[in-house]
Amino acid sequence: MSVPVTPRPARGQRAARTVLVVVGVLLLALGAWVLVDTVAPTRYAGLLLWLAGAVVAHDAVLAPLLVVASQIARRTGRRVPPAVLVIVQAAVVVGVIATLVVVPEIVAKTLGPRNDTVLPFDYGLRLAVLWLVLAGLTAAAVAGYLVRARRQNVRPSTTQV
Amino acid sequence: MRHTSRVHALLHALRSAATSPTRNARSAVVLGRLLGLGFVICLLTGLYSHFLQDPASWMTFPTRPVWLYQLTQGVHITSGIACIPLLLGKLHAVFPQLFQSPPVRRPVDVLERASIALFVATSILQLVTGLLNTYQWYPWPFPFRQVHWALSFVIIGSLVVHIGVKLPLITRYWRRRDSYDDEGRFVEPAAELDPVSAEFAAETELRRRRAVGTAAPAAPEARGLVGRLQRWIDRDPSLPPAVDEAGAARRERLSRRGFFTAVGVSTGGVVALTAGQSFTPLEPLNAFAPRQRGIGPNDLPINRTAAAARVLESAMDPAWELTVVNGDRSVAFSAADLTAMTQVGADLPISCVEGWSQTGSWRGVRLADLVALVGAPAGAGLRLTSLEERGGYRVTEMGGEYVADPLTLVALELNGERLSIDHGYPARIIAPGRPGVLQTKWLSTLEVLR
Repeated sequence: MSVPVTPRPARGQRAARTVLVVVGVLLLALGAWVLVDTVAPTRYAGLLLWLAGAVVAHDAVLAPLLVVASQIARRTGRRVPPAVLVIVQAAVVVGVIATLVVVPEIVAKTLGPRNDTVLPFDYGLRLAVLWLVLAGLTAAAVAGYLVRARRQNVRPSTTQV
Repeated sequence: MRHTSRVHALLHALRSAATSPTRNARSAVVLGRLLGLGFVICLLTGLYSHFLQDPASWMTFPTRPVWLYQLTQGVHITSGIACIPLLLGKLHAVFPQLFQSPPVRRPVDVLERASIALFVATSILQLVTGLLNTYQWYPWPFPFRQVHWALSFVIIGSLVVHIGVKLPLITRYWRRRDSYDDEGRFVEPAAELDPVSAEFAAETELRRRRAVGTAAPAAPEARGLVGRLQRWIDRDPSLPPAVDEAGAARRERLSRRGFFTAVGVSTGGVVALTAGQSFTPLEPLNAFAPRQRGIGPNDLPINRTAAAARVLESAMDPAWELTVVNGDRSVAFSAADLTAMTQVGADLPISCVEGWSQTGSWRGVRLADLVALVGAPAGAGLRLTSLEERGGYRVTEMGGEYVADPLTLVALELNGERLSIDHGYPARIIAPGRPGVLQTKWLSTLEVLR
């Protein structure tokens, strides 16, 4: 087992870090100035609320749901070969991300687009079709894996990922 | 004291629960590189779009290739969409860091964690509001364009600070061969590089040994909810203590492959299924974009209708005239006058700031010919006024480079038919390489700037 040696931080790297932090802080200051210059102070509270909401929505809702889902998948999928579990998990992730992108579109369409050329499709139906296609591809991938595993005469392991 | 240890136990339990072979510094570096690239592309194309709409007085812009803005803004929106799965993947990779215990060690850590909180908050908000802007849905209590503009600097500043802070870890895990051992298992960073993770790893190992009885129990187990959570996590059947090294390494590689496949397929998928609104080769795959080419009057989508702009009456008025002014010289052209002049054809795209674009076949009078009739000097800019009664783009200015361009037209026809009223009847501007909002519809006055 080769363990790479961590080199001592060179003087060049220390200088680079200092430059990066200073430049970054200057850009942050520019952003703050642009904000103050272009956005009315009455809108700051709403903006702060949405910024905090963005972190809460991810760190306190989306990410914990994923942790719980994957813990449950590990525990309930005990008899499933690890590769199959990974294929299914990956497919669910793909479907969930596509859903996150498309659901606001469905809502916007429900609220009424400004004209007929905006949001012209039936996005709900298309999202359903996407999930069906995804389910089909996942089933095919799992079947392909199981067939290949049997041909190689290797009993799929039942240990967990 | 007791309270502190309970908080520590809780944070340790949460971090353990969130620990997975895919959440490590190498994943963060791989996705961080792609995300950083996406953010920089969005910044540069965004700056270009901003200055096209709001130029400093000394700025001039290229008018060729005619599809330049179509490309830059299509890339802006498409890379923004690609950043959504990448950002989720990146946040996934670093999520356990949220529960580091103690939350801060040195005063400077407060600043570091605050900068990360700002980075995460602004990145998520920028991508969410940017996406919803393409759906023309604005549920937030602040102006989109101004906030999008200001946050772009906050994000890039936070990114640069973040790279500065994490530089030792980034260089440590830059290359694949330095990140995994011969079996393909992630090599934890040296303790001095990441003391928080090292301490967490040591404590986890101690708890594991205690659980299998090779180490004496030191501290009493936490009670209540925290204790139950801890025990549930420690009972994780995925980590049986007797598992052999080769099996563990195989599982780690498998998880990692699944994770990167999921992020890659998601990114490729959302791009492939939406970018057809901007890029011709992907048109057949367009399933989820908010726009579809070829739909609309004159076979081209629209943003602002004549009804929304309240020009239904003024635009249909038979007495309509286009007034071209240069100082005290002024000439008025009726629709019939314009039709009687030399007509020029040009294939030029309408490219919207929201990312969609479509090339149309336009016919009309060359703008340079028109302003020459009032003796406009070479290279002079123009102020364009629309019949619209209000709206941010009722009066706009056009740089001399576009006025002089032989492809810039006062268009009367689109795709072989007279302009539809929603596309700017009786006459509109079409110039190469400018955003759609500046292709003024329902023209009323052209004034030479001197």
